[in-house]
Amino acid sequence: MDFLDYLSRSGDNLFELSLEHINLVLISMGLAILIGVPLGITAHRKTRWNPIILSGAGIMLTIPSLALLAIFVPIFGLGAPPAIAGLTLYALYPIISNTVAGLQSVSPAIVKASRGMGMGSWRRLAKVELPLAWPVIITGVRVSTQVVVGIAAIAAIVGGPGLGNEIFRGLRSLGSPGAENLVYGGTLAVVIVAYLFDAAFILIRRFTTPRGIR
Amino acid sequence: MSTNSTSEVMIELDELTKTFPGQSVPAVDKLSLTIQKGEIVVFVGPSGCGKTTSMELINRLIEPTSGRIILEGEDVTDAQVDSLRRRIGYVIQETGLFPHRTIAQNIATVPGMIGWKKGRMDERVDELLGLIGMEPSQYRDRFPKELSGGQRQRVGVARAMAADPPVMLMDEPFGAIDPITRERLQNEFLRLQAQIQKTVVFVTHDIDEAIKMGDKIVVLKEQSHIAQFASPEEILSSPADDYVSDFIGQGASLKRLNLTRIRDIEMATDTPTGTAHEELSTLRQRLAESPWSTMMILDDQHRPMRWVGGRDLNRANAGEDIAKLGLPATATVEPQATLSDALNELITSNGGVAIVVDGSGVFQGVVDIESILTAVRTMREENSQFYLAQKEISEAID
Ligand SMILES: Nc1ncnc2c1ncn2[C@@H]1O[C@H](COP(=O)(O)OP(=O)(O)OP(=O)(O)O)[C@@H](O)[C@H]1O
Ligand SMILES: [Mg+2]
Repeated sequence: MDFLDYLSRSGDNLFELSLEHINLVLISMGLAILIGVPLGITAHRKTRWNPIILSGAGIMLTIPSLALLAIFVPIFGLGAPPAIAGLTLYALYPIISNTVAGLQSVSPAIVKASRGMGMGSWRRLAKVELPLAWPVIITGVRVSTQVVVGIAAIAAIVGGPGLGNEIFRGLRSLGSPGAENLVYGGTLAVVIVAYLFDAAFILIRRFTTPRGIR
Repeated sequence: MSTNSTSEVMIELDELTKTFPGQSVPAVDKLSLTIQKGEIVVFVGPSGCGKTTSMELINRLIEPTSGRIILEGEDVTDAQVDSLRRRIGYVIQETGLFPHRTIAQNIATVPGMIGWKKGRMDERVDELLGLIGMEPSQYRDRFPKELSGGQRQRVGVARAMAADPPVMLMDEPFGAIDPITRERLQNEFLRLQAQIQKTVVFVTHDIDEAIKMGDKIVVLKEQSHIAQFASPEEILSSPADDYVSDFIGQGASLKRLNLTRIRDIEMATDTPTGTAHEELSTLRQRLAESPWSTMMILDDQHRPMRWVGGRDLNRANAGEDIAKLGLPATATVEPQATLSDALNELITSNGGVAIVVDGSGVFQGVVDIESILTAVRTMREENSQFYLAQKEISEAID
């Protein structure tokens, strides 16, 4: 069977799966940002915690992705939840480490000046440090997202949503005519989704970076 | 230099001591100092002697190990630190401007924190930009990276003054700037200070800057021990010990040129002037009636343009543009420049005189080397009489 033929017949299905995939990535990344940025801030401010937080998040990356998703099945059962949990953990490290790097890159003179003017530490964080660290933080989020878009394809194994379902359907029936098209089609869609995310980040970064530091 | 008729105490440091964790000797050891309202007190001393630490103890960027800080009669050693700092302007060498905020937002930092209304803040920002010689409409909405180093430093000063704090701390504020801009900023700040009369603690390691900027100078040695606390005149003419005289270094008498400003000496105001629009015959007549051999051509804003002599006027008669004849009017100084600045300019000038202009460049008059020498001579006599008298008194007491 012709690949183009397959695409024209499965286009709608691929589109549906892509939306699921995007959704899965967005939820996992949202959680990872909500957890990772505060952890990064803590690691930056409480230097004692710095090694624990960073190496803890780093270790997640060494766990094989399949295993990381699978360990949550006993807790959450099959479906989207274990996938989201695993992907979130996977996404943490680049976000945390870039948050720390971004905050550390704020010049000591700026920090000193803001303290000297009587800015409390939370106000300083919100008004000075985070805005200045932002380009670095968003870069971390972008790197995380790229990794997560790829790994999200494995979510299908734990019953999760997304393009992995098409790929694994193809892999299971490999040998029967046209099965490889499913694999290629799913993979192609993952690449396109990754590309769309990347393009979105370039725009987001551009429009959310304060003009004075662009 | 400001004259304070009232001698109210603004800051009092009482045996202030800071020992950094893990160090056996204190970085600042029992520093006691009384600073009067409205004066500029300069901390000067070699690198590492504790100037910055001493200054940062005042706004408690560094918490003292022991001792007390009294501000306007109030013991602030244990006061709430952020509200204390909002009462104290703070300027550092690296400026520490916020790169992501506009110049206006930067300047309005402290007013914003203490809850000023927007209208009042906007007014204050424009007022301050005007004070530091930066056109508000042009600079208000720029970002720090769109300014020159000198302009950034000015904005740093404006930001520190925004909420009109009674005290300003300035840590080598002009240290990272080229000598010419630095001199201009110093003069500007002195002009400003004459209006605002803040109490200023100013840190520098440059004795010349200390002499120029200070109403009083604190010469510090290691661990912030005070070697001498006195007026610049007194430090130069009677250094307390070898440490101080070594620190002043060679040429103490030359340094005294930094003590007197152009506005304090006689300047010649009878220089004939004219503009390029005037009739040549008028100009020629004006020059002939004056004892001068050259006259000053001013532009429409009365700013000096060219020195022209009788021969140049003749050539202008032959059709040449008067604005291109003669010599360019270089070597301009402002009234708050020191004699040392003026002498520097004079040496490289065209007419052998320094041209005095006001803050907006309008021609005021000229000073020549004679008037500078006269001023130095008078100063020396006054000083030696003063110190002779002082010495006699102290000997009589002994
Ligand atoms: N945060 C710190 N921790 C430990 N020691 C410090 C700290 N800050 C300063 N010191 C030490 O305290 C002493 C005084 O330093 P300080 O910065 O006040 O000197 P300074 O007179 O301002 O010198 P410079 O002219 O180089 O700026 C130095 O010996 C310095 O090493
Ligand atoms: Mg210092």
